[in-house]
Amino acid sequence: MPKVLFIDYERCIGCKSCVAACAELPSHRGKSRNYVVPLAPGVSTQTIPMTCFHCKDPACARSCPAGAISITELGTVLSADEEKCVGCRNCTLACPFGIPKFDFNENIMYKCDLCHERTSQGSAPMCASVCPAQTIQWIELDEAMTRRRAKIAAKIIGDVPVWGDDEVETRIVTMGGFGGTGVKEETHHD
Amino acid sequence: MQCAMYMRVDQTTHQVVGVEPRYDFPVNGGRMCPKGVLAYQQINHHERILHPMVRRNGQLERATWDEALDLVASKIREIQGKYGKHAVGLYGGVSMTNEKCYIAGKFARVAVGTKNIDYNGRFCMSAAAAGAMKAVGIDRGLFNPWSDVVLADAILLAGSNTAECHPTAMAYLWEARDRGAKLIVIDPRRTPTARVADVHLQLKPGTDSALVNGLLHVLISEGLVDARFIAERTNNFESMRDLVLRDYSPEQVEPITGVPAHLIRKAARIYGMARTGMVMYARGVEQQSKGVENVTDLINLMLVTGKIGRPGCGGGTLTGQGNGQGGREHGQKADQLPGYRKIDDPAARAHVASVWGIDPAELPGAGQSAYELLESMGEARNEVKMLYLYCSNPLVSAPNTVEVEQFVANLDFLVVSDFFLSESAEKADVVLPAAVWAEDEGTTTNAEGRVIRINKAQEPLGEAKPDWWIMSEIAKRLGRGQHFSYENPREIFEELRPASAGGLADYSGITYERIEAEDGVFWPCPAGSAGTPRMFEERFAHKDGRAVFHAVAYRPAAEVPDVEFPIYLTTGRVVFHYLSGTQTRRIPFLVQQSPEPYVEVHPILAGRLGLENGGKARLQTRRGEMVLTVRVVETIRPDTVFVPYHWGKELAVNQLTNPALDPVCRMPEFKACAVRVTREA
Repeated sequence: MPKVLFIDYERCIGCKSCVAACAELPSHRGKSRNYVVPLAPGVSTQTIPMTCFHCKDPACARSCPAGAISITELGTVLSADEEKCVGCRNCTLACPFGIPKFDFNENIMYKCDLCHERTSQGSAPMCASVCPAQTIQWIELDEAMTRRRAKIAAKIIGDVPVWGDDEVETRIVTMGGFGGTGVKEETHHD
Repeated sequence: MQCAMYMRVDQTTHQVVGVEPRYDFPVNGGRMCPKGVLAYQQINHHERILHPMVRRNGQLERATWDEALDLVASKIREIQGKYGKHAVGLYGGVSMTNEKCYIAGKFARVAVGTKNIDYNGRFCMSAAAAGAMKAVGIDRGLFNPWSDVVLADAILLAGSNTAECHPTAMAYLWEARDRGAKLIVIDPRRTPTARVADVHLQLKPGTDSALVNGLLHVLISEGLVDARFIAERTNNFESMRDLVLRDYSPEQVEPITGVPAHLIRKAARIYGMARTGMVMYARGVEQQSKGVENVTDLINLMLVTGKIGRPGCGGGTLTGQGNGQGGREHGQKADQLPGYRKIDDPAARAHVASVWGIDPAELPGAGQSAYELLESMGEARNEVKMLYLYCSNPLVSAPNTVEVEQFVANLDFLVVSDFFLSESAEKADVVLPAAVWAEDEGTTTNAEGRVIRINKAQEPLGEAKPDWWIMSEIAKRLGRGQHFSYENPREIFEELRPASAGGLADYSGITYERIEAEDGVFWPCPAGSAGTPRMFEERFAHKDGRAVFHAVAYRPAAEVPDVEFPIYLTTGRVVFHYLSGTQTRRIPFLVQQSPEPYVEVHPILAGRLGLENGGKARLQTRRGEMVLTVRVVETIRPDTVFVPYHWGKELAVNQLTNPALDPVCRMPEFKACAVRVTREA
């Protein structure tokens, strides 16, 4: 059973450990690839982590004229290949979530690669490793879906992952009342 | 918490260059807050002090170790010759190993011969310690291991912003909540912890004991008590019961605390009806001039419901500093000897003197508490003329820093040992470069009483040395070298074990090997014991084995809002900084997230005062004043403002706080005072 990134937004305490730890992975060269945003500053202390959703049909990769964004066997949408990236920044505009960022010094796009050097070796990505509140976890897909279904059954969250007018299928399972993102139920018949 | 982690070490330079999560450690399982993730950046930081410094012609200049140590020793002699033994004081901290804390206590009594030693834990855990001693007869921070939290059906957090102050503990709370546990939070602010609570009791600062009495009133009047437990394992129930039933109905408590009566009932019923439950508290209730009363009252909750000494039942204090627990057990406190022994107890003196190889008569008596020690340096008292300060930065962390600065200025001589030039070190006559945590080995004791090990990852940078070495070298120069001939921390721990044997905090059965093999050992652990993860399963630590109820009559904070200073000021922390910020205000990522203090103001109060989000406000109290950036937030009471405390000098909120002390433990009242807030152009 593959492991997936599972995000339970309600638990986020805004500490940005995930942001700090992301930059600590040697191959990330000091540039963090995830973000923590406040939902309603001044009204609530609620914050949420924004990581790449690793879409099944990623707009970033589709928009890349150079084929610089690869998708691994496990479905991880990698950061730009240094040799192929032409610095056009299409991906930064195409992504509906604003995840790819552009490094103007190096003239290359960078984004979350789910700590490929760790996850491809069976270890957890940095963000899920350190997250003190366990907002971000690295768990088996079955377990993630079970937890999500429990909330759907309790009518705490909706069951269709919709962003605006788009349905987006992702490989990251999320929970909480923010947009109802998540893996589409019917795509994972047990 | 004591979160475990691995250090990445460069194989050619042998220096620490990064961090790697350590998944196999039971306390944190790899989890780290941002301070933990980035802690390694302190180790080879460009601002590390690399060599001793001596003040010449007003400037701190490089010196050799011999010059610096000879000067310190000769000054100790000179000042003691002129003013007496106790004119030299020591002021420490507990962000260092048990071995160092133990040596500090021994160094003060055996090498310097002064009674005047105390430490910053006085501003941190002293109320919890004294409260637990009164109620259950022993001060082991949490009475239970962290793993018990996930077994609790109801969790009550009082004065703890766990999410920001003990972030890695949140995983335990969530695991309990995944099982259906209810969470009750007592805090004047809707913190990230209170935000996710089932019941948030948003009380006025300093009214905690009235609120807890209200909870006790509901528990007793609705029969949610364990009568058999009360009869068999406690004393003094009746006086507590009579007081809370008479004076603290939820309706009586509501006007005092500002918490609606129905919420007090709801919280009491959740905790009272739960099969298992834990009550945990932190600086919010402890850093008050009645911190000890608040703590004993919270323990009343555990005792009245019999929720203590069982799986998922108990609680205690969430210790703050890294080694806040171990550092208060082995003699660094003014009135203590190793093993949590009282320095005025003849049997304790005889035991420790025999381990140290001295005559008990040589041991000085009890000294004074941290703030009083600082006060005794001032012009008014003029008693302590030389201070040796290590592992602490009182110019930021003590209350009323304006006056503390005058106390320090009045000294004849100040020695500071630290690894960064802190606000306090800047004032020193001699600065000694200390090794950081990753450059030495030793043990620390975490919030749950688990004694764990720190391993050495690299050699000390520059000429830095561990504090146990520094104190031993000064001891030699004072002619007491025979009592301080240590080669390494292990030798110190091997002496600490028998010194603590038979005391409350008994470490005699703990060895470095056992700590490694068992992922830490819980004290009390006499020789042959397996250790004690959960306290009070059969008996409490008082002589008769029973716990004691305390009837706590509510009294207001030492200073409450009035016409002149009409608003409550409370202080606290942010998740990005640690204590006085000496370690975290030098880490770029943490500074970016939280560059300076601010004042949180409710929109209603902001409207009344004409304050805008992002604008400036002037805060004035009877001690001092400062200007801060305003954050308009709905998460605070409209009668209260909040300022985080991690900064120094003109950014130190402790310019404003009230040094009113708890009568028992001498804890200053950081958490409640009266302030005037005005718009600043």
